[in-house]
Amino acid sequence: MKELAGRLVALDPDAAAAVRVIAYFDRLVEGRAGLETIVRGAAVLSGCPARLDDASRHIHLEVDSEGTRRDRPTPPRPEWMRAPVVPGADSTLWLERAGPPNAVDAMVLERAAAAARGALERTSGRTRPSGPADGPAAVEVLIDGSLPESVRVRAAAQLGLGAASRARAIALEDGKAVIRAVAEAADEDPTAGDLREGGRRAGIGPAVAVADLPSSWAAAQTALRLTAEGTARDPGPRVVHADDLGGLAVLASAVGPDTRPVPDVLALERAAQAAGWMLQTLDAVAASPSMRAAAAALTMHHSTLQDRFAQAERLLGWSLHDPQGRLRLQLALALRRLHRNPPGHRPG
Amino acid sequence: MTIAPADRDATPDEAGRAATVSAGAVGPPPPFDVELAAGLEAFGFSVDAPFSAEDLLTQTRSGAALFTVPDEVLTGNGAFAVEDRLVPGPPGAPEVSLLISRPAKDAAAPAAADRLLPAVYFMHGGGMIIGNNRLGISEIQEWSRELGGLVGISVEYRLAPENPHPAPVEDCYAGLLWTVEHADELGIDPNRIVIAGTSAGGGLCAAVALLARDRGGPTVAGQLLMCPMLDDRNDTVSAVQMAGRGVWDRAANEVGWRSLLGDLRGGPDVSPYAAPARAEDLSNLPPAFVDVGSAETFRDEDVAYASRIWRAGGQAELHVWPGGFHGFDGLAPHATLSRQARAARLAWLRRIIAD
Repeated sequence: MKELAGRLVALDPDAAAAVRVIAYFDRLVEGRAGLETIVRGAAVLSGCPARLDDASRHIHLEVDSEGTRRDRPTPPRPEWMRAPVVPGADSTLWLERAGPPNAVDAMVLERAAAAARGALERTSGRTRPSGPADGPAAVEVLIDGSLPESVRVRAAAQLGLGAASRARAIALEDGKAVIRAVAEAADEDPTAGDLREGGRRAGIGPAVAVADLPSSWAAAQTALRLTAEGTARDPGPRVVHADDLGGLAVLASAVGPDTRPVPDVLALERAAQAAGWMLQTLDAVAASPSMRAAAAALTMHHSTLQDRFAQAERLLGWSLHDPQGRLRLQLALALRRLHRNPPGHRPG
Repeated sequence: MTIAPADRDATPDEAGRAATVSAGAVGPPPPFDVELAAGLEAFGFSVDAPFSAEDLLTQTRSGAALFTVPDEVLTGNGAFAVEDRLVPGPPGAPEVSLLISRPAKDAAAPAAADRLLPAVYFMHGGGMIIGNNRLGISEIQEWSRELGGLVGISVEYRLAPENPHPAPVEDCYAGLLWTVEHADELGIDPNRIVIAGTSAGGGLCAAVALLARDRGGPTVAGQLLMCPMLDDRNDTVSAVQMAGRGVWDRAANEVGWRSLLGDLRGGPDVSPYAAPARAEDLSNLPPAFVDVGSAETFRDEDVAYASRIWRAGGQAELHVWPGGFHGFDGLAPHATLSRQARAARLAWLRRIIAD
């Protein structure tokens, strides 16, 4: 049927072809055609593959440009043209080609979506919810922003997460993802404690609507980059909440695998070479509200800490007594972690 | 309506007509399949306005887009090697052009090839008055892909009204004779040649099978009759019922037959080699495949033809596709019904000629 699409364009490059598209779908609607026939119409009239997703009805249907139904689902691309079948719901008709749509594409999207809406309304009483075996209810689906929202919401439902629930994505040190539902009343995140006890390094994404889990996942991965082993060589928190990052998230995006360390980070590394206690001490100083609290955290005498402090300032080359110097220290420590955990790297 | 009343002693020739009429009053036309009708309209045809006589003899014949097959389509983008051969025509008539398509990988030195391919000898459609031998070649190539390779031969027969009967059918027969005689040279297995045709080509195909039988000509493995145009009388129930509907209605059919037969059309002296429905004897024919839509002019003459082959003790496979208009699978190839129709042909061919 590519011939038909070709001829549509050749015979009527613009408006008249759109009129024929209208006639085509009007005829299908009149004849109460089924969803596959409608999606096939969209494919052959636009000359590119088409698909329909409806999460709540568990419908996923793909047709290639020849009008043949594909046996296996394939991942969609975010740049493809699409139209909502049911406005405000999780039902989408796609043309598998990057936009912007030409006159025929636009008309196909509009008319096919309208026809599909009618068919769905007519048949919705016949569909029944399918169980988890229906598809891969993998967590990966929920956090994959390249998949249509409808697919992600359907996968969430299979994990017991309704479209209205809120959840966090958690990035673990082995690259795995965990999704945790967030109880509405709870201010505390119950997962953080579990993870600390489990001892695994983790970045915890913000609580979001199920459909926004890809963004929570992205933030969780950033937070994971700012975690540390918690050892003398790599002191710092093993669990980091993305909610607490503030501007550090922006800093993280500036440090890639090929980014050269700034002089403060190099100075930090040199200082670390000079004394085995250096990093842990500096981390405690940076993380504590006062010198006294830092000494307590390190279980050392206040005056011992004062001595180490002076040595550290000499090696680093800047003062740690004023707020600006302490900010430099905090940034240098954060940058060191970001360099140690570049994007895509699995720490630990 | 000019349909004779039911007659239990009707000759075989009349059986199809009489049986349908005796079944009761003729109702409205069967509805078109919805996906097919939508496809037809997208083409710019109307389901309610068939070709007019003027369309047929002027604009459609002057090389309109619908009837043009560009070279890259003809070769399946290089998958097929295609050549034109001029071969002897009927006695005293001009040479006949054959379009020969074979898989590109089998194209070199076909006569020396280590395997002989089956072949489909094809007659295009067009109401006896339009078309060319490039039309329909793509489906033959599709069969070739599906069946592991075959040679397609499409004959450029002369068209009516400039060349009335018997010019078209004799051209087709001459081309078949040459093909069978040159099977070796073409790398064709002579035992696996199927003759095939669409619409007017289906009628010519049925007629070629009759000619081959009656003249002691070549025995072919099967005859593939796709919505064949068989009966010049043009007065079956379906012809009457579908008047004004689809792309090829009773009026268009009248133009075609009158072009081929002139004033003989519908009279007592029409040769079965012009209109195979006129044949008294349908025995000893190669196995037939007949398909047709339930919503087209040719429905009843095609059903009758298959029934008469059975009655004569022959082998036929008949498919009547519900809601199909004439040529539906070519005009709306994506539709479910079109896919199933093509699959049925392929399955038959596989049985008849595949290894």
